[in-house]
Amino acid sequence: MSAPVVVFWQKNPALAWREIDDETIIISPNDSVMHELNDTGSFLWKNIDGRKSAAELAELLVENYEVKPEIALSDTEALLQEMSSRKLVVAVPATSGVSP
Amino acid sequence: MSAPLANSGRGPRQQFELSIGCVALRLEMSDAQLFDAASARYAAFTGAAAQPVTIALNESAAPEGPPADFDYEFEGAALRVFSNGIRFDGVRHQYALDSLLRVLLSWKLLGHRGFLLHAATVIRSGKAYLFTGRSGAGKSTVASLAPEGSVLTDEISLLRRENGAWRAHGTPFWGEFRAAGSNTSAPVGGIFRLQQAAENQATALRPLAILRALLPNVLFFSADAEANRRLLEILSQAATEISGYNLAFRKNSAFWEVLPS
Repeated sequence: MSAPVVVFWQKNPALAWREIDDETIIISPNDSVMHELNDTGSFLWKNIDGRKSAAELAELLVENYEVKPEIALSDTEALLQEMSSRKLVVAVPATSGVSP
Repeated sequence: MSAPLANSGRGPRQQFELSIGCVALRLEMSDAQLFDAASARYAAFTGAAAQPVTIALNESAAPEGPPADFDYEFEGAALRVFSNGIRFDGVRHQYALDSLLRVLLSWKLLGHRGFLLHAATVIRSGKAYLFTGRSGAGKSTVASLAPEGSVLTDEISLLRRENGAWRAHGTPFWGEFRAAGSNTSAPVGGIFRLQQAAENQATALRPLAILRALLPNVLFFSADAEANRRLLEILSQAATEISGYNLAFRKNSAFWEVLPS
């Protein structure tokens, strides 16, 4: 068995977003669809920079919110999958050395 | 309203200048009938201004050089913004010209911290009150209930942040009320999202809710990410700085009594 492939997450560069009232509104210009992220979703969004894995993002969540590590990881993975299905984020190979 | 001008003849090139929301434009065209129709259509908004942007209408020569910074097509009419000028092609009647001017303005206003909004704007006690909502929400009703001369527009409002404050400008783009807009401006008193109801009632909204109310009603036609980021930044600032309300609206003039002064 091979080790699971680690991926980093990055924002879809085609999007426009803005934080307001501790929430984030994301606009997808190609289809004019609006997406909203709550407080913790906004925190994760801010930290999605193409250089962090789901586990690293979950660690940041634990450091900043009162949440157990296993819950933080499952919530983070669920949010990333949801955002990925909406084409808000994309996974990149962790070995590719994504530049900032 | 004028009939389509598909068979109109070409004559010498004519031009007129107009200013909408202080965005200065110069239209150049050879089509005499379209020129007459457009001159009459935008009569209240004509006037010389410093350094207008020139729009060449239905020029036959194909443009050369780098691709357009922004382009848009609508029912055969095309708008292209180049670094050295703007072209409108395939414009057969004034409706097409009207549509392309709206698209162009929505783009140009990004550089002026402004935007176009589906909203009626009415002046009351020196302030502009904007009533936004989809078709049927009551924009035209609000305009029809307002005193004569107080309607800046019954359909498409123009907002700009000038010297640290938001102002609403009249536009020549009309809706069901068919009132030519007034070429004046006033400081914004508030934005109201219309919702039909049995009673009139205004409820204050926080900035996030104001942004949510604005977004579906903003006119914007570019899919460019950077342009959309700029627009969202401008809209967020508007939502933070302008008072916004839900207005439960019974479609009678008594709604003025529930508006915050």
